[in-house]
Amino acid sequence: MTCVNGDVDDDAELEGALRRAAELLDPVPASLVEVAVEAFRFRTVDAELAELTFDSMTGTAAVRGPAQARVLGFGGQAAGLDLEITAAGPSRRVVGQVTPPAHAVVEVRGDTPVSVTTDALGRFIVDRVPPGPLSFRCRVGDVVFTTEWVTV
Amino acid sequence: MTIPDAPDVRACRVDIDSTGALFQAAAKGDAAAWEALVGRLSPLVWSVVRSHRLIDADAHEVFQTTWFRLADNLTRIREPDKVGSWLASTARHECLKVIRGSRRVVPTSDVDVLSPEADDRSPEQAVLDAEEAAGQEAALRRVWQAYEQLSDNCRRLLRVLMASPPPSYAEIAAGLGIAIGSIGPTRGRCLGHLRRLLT
Repeated sequence: MTCVNGDVDDDAELEGALRRAAELLDPVPASLVEVAVEAFRFRTVDAELAELTFDSMTGTAAVRGPAQARVLGFGGQAAGLDLEITAAGPSRRVVGQVTPPAHAVVEVRGDTPVSVTTDALGRFIVDRVPPGPLSFRCRVGDVVFTTEWVTV
Repeated sequence: MTIPDAPDVRACRVDIDSTGALFQAAAKGDAAAWEALVGRLSPLVWSVVRSHRLIDADAHEVFQTTWFRLADNLTRIREPDKVGSWLASTARHECLKVIRGSRRVVPTSDVDVLSPEADDRSPEQAVLDAEEAAGQEAALRRVWQAYEQLSDNCRRLLRVLMASPPPSYAEIAAGLGIAIGSIGPTRGRCLGHLRRLLT
């Protein structure tokens, strides 16, 4: 008769060995942990968070941009941001518009922050955006909002 | 069957209360609490990302995006003690988007060499320790190589299960998008397959 407790102990032991193997052979890179720790410093504290409300990469995309463009929409009626992102060699080109259309200052958050001023209709273009985590902080008049992070 | 000896340290389950307490402290501006939270839950996020088998560059980006999102949501998350599941779920959704974007998925993971650290033991003890460590390391590599031969389903579950500290079943479910009730039986079955590969 098989001793059930013995099997359970063997499973726990084998699971433990797997865990130690993962720690040895595929641990979290220390550099990544540092980046995550640093994220605390540039977290959004004083601005509204504009959630991702549309992403051409999920579900059935009724709206499609040019070939290989990713279309993103953030926020709601009060204030929002529409983006079209295309690959340009190793980096990204971001074409955006603050909604409702209005003059705004937009900061690209991340490793190398960049600040741009839109035209009177809230439109802007940012080139040479490195791939990876991306978020935008927009100041439209008195309203400041920050988009949630996405990976592009 | 050779299973490497466990070190003389008990791998404890994370105290859910203290994770929630760390989170709440970080939400109030405590940078040290944030750093402790990152230290504790990074292996879970990493294991979810790795179980989806993204190439290294994509894995790194998803890991970062996941933590950046948490930093921005510190004052909005309503259940601080479930932040592990929040992180696992967020990482999973981001992984699926990256995979859907037709980025490459790595077929196998490379095995890295561990280089011993310098210390002040006697030379003899250092040699004995090195031989022992080499034996342990070789045994762990065999376990890892056997794990790599398992089915996709088993590798996916076990990769998340392998996180340190051990994740809760709720966190595993969130990281893989599976029912909590399926975890126990699948774990048993997959460990059984792994054990047979090691004999």
